[in-house]
Amino acid sequence: MQRKNKNIKSQLFKVGFFFLIVGVIIFFSTPMKKIKEEVFEEMRLAIFQLNINSENITISDVNTENLEVTQENTEIAEENDKKATYSYIGQLSIPTINLKRGFVSKESRYNNINYNITIANEADYPDVPMGNFILMAHSGNAYISFFDKLYKLQIGDEASVSYNATTYNYRLTKIYNQAKTGTVAIYRNPTIKTLTLITCTHNDDYNQTIYIFEEI
Amino acid sequence: MDLSIIEQLITFITLPFQSFLTIEILLIFIILYIFILYNERRQNKKVKIILTSLIIFFFSLLVFYFSEDMMTVLSEITKTIMRSFYFPNIIFYILSAIISLVLLIYTLFKEKLTKLNKIITYTFTILHLFLFTIFISNAITNNLSLTNTANIYQHDNMFVIVLFSNIIFILLIIYKVIYHFCYIRHEKLKNK
Repeated sequence: MQRKNKNIKSQLFKVGFFFLIVGVIIFFSTPMKKIKEEVFEEMRLAIFQLNINSENITISDVNTENLEVTQENTEIAEENDKKATYSYIGQLSIPTINLKRGFVSKESRYNNINYNITIANEADYPDVPMGNFILMAHSGNAYISFFDKLYKLQIGDEASVSYNATTYNYRLTKIYNQAKTGTVAIYRNPTIKTLTLITCTHNDDYNQTIYIFEEI
Repeated sequence: MDLSIIEQLITFITLPFQSFLTIEILLIFIILYIFILYNERRQNKKVKIILTSLIIFFFSLLVFYFSEDMMTVLSEITKTIMRSFYFPNIIFYILSAIISLVLLIYTLFKEKLTKLNKIITYTFTILHLFLFTIFISNAITNNLSLTNTANIYQHDNMFVIVLFSNIIFILLIIYKVIYHFCYIRHEKLKNK
């Protein structure tokens, strides 16, 4: 009888342990995925830097297969991202919020908000005099929320964009919100080269925030 | 950073007396230490439980007060583990190959081991060493500098080789640890 009780206890312990492990795996899977993506991102940037340093040229994107991503949800995008092979043509970095992320060319299929920080169609590249380089990304807690910490920025914070083996430095001069209507009006000084970042407003489902940086 | 050995020693000795908080922390740890030592003679189970609870409580307090920093530290640790799994430094990779080689040689000459254990160890170590050799030969053919990690991992072949090597190595280590514990337990039961 005692032996039977011991056996039942042992079985229960094993089942409990199994569920505990499964629970821990499920609980930590999302943050682990995010960390994994950060590690891969670091390596992509390191490779990007390496190519820039050794060849001093813009890397054109590769693997432009037919891939319709505009309507895809985050999970499918994440799954596809693992298979995707793309190279960055530049990098945005904002030291205040520890943001370092590459961007692909406007023509690339991966220049999509579900994959990367996206260059707006209306944007000029950073090397265009008095141009406006417009970048967009999600905010929030999702896997692709590259602009999740943008709300912490304050006027005067600096950002830099590496493009075509040149680094362009900017300073934040203006932050304003606009309702989500599908379009955004950008108010900037047209005589100064500008970097514009657009993302959803922090903890607000109905607005988007526009960050205007001017070249230093 | 630029301290001499004597300055380092002096700083180390005066460290616990630099503020009231550090003196308090020092006292708490001295009392804990004395209690643990004293209890070794008495072997009182209640004291053991109280001491364990106190230590857990003390560290929980630390975690509570520095929760945000703790999360950052944890995330950094996880990142480092992930980094060494997906994109290990070449030194780490070579070290893992050396461990595999030592295990292989040890298993070859150790007569006490069971056949199954030997077969499993041979399979893992040979596979690991095979992948390591492929890695080196690929590096030589592609004329890769192994000092720069990004230089290695920009090639998909190298990334896949290292990834599978690491999976095999981790499986080998997990197997060895489990086997070791089971073996010790089995031996203990046998002796009883």
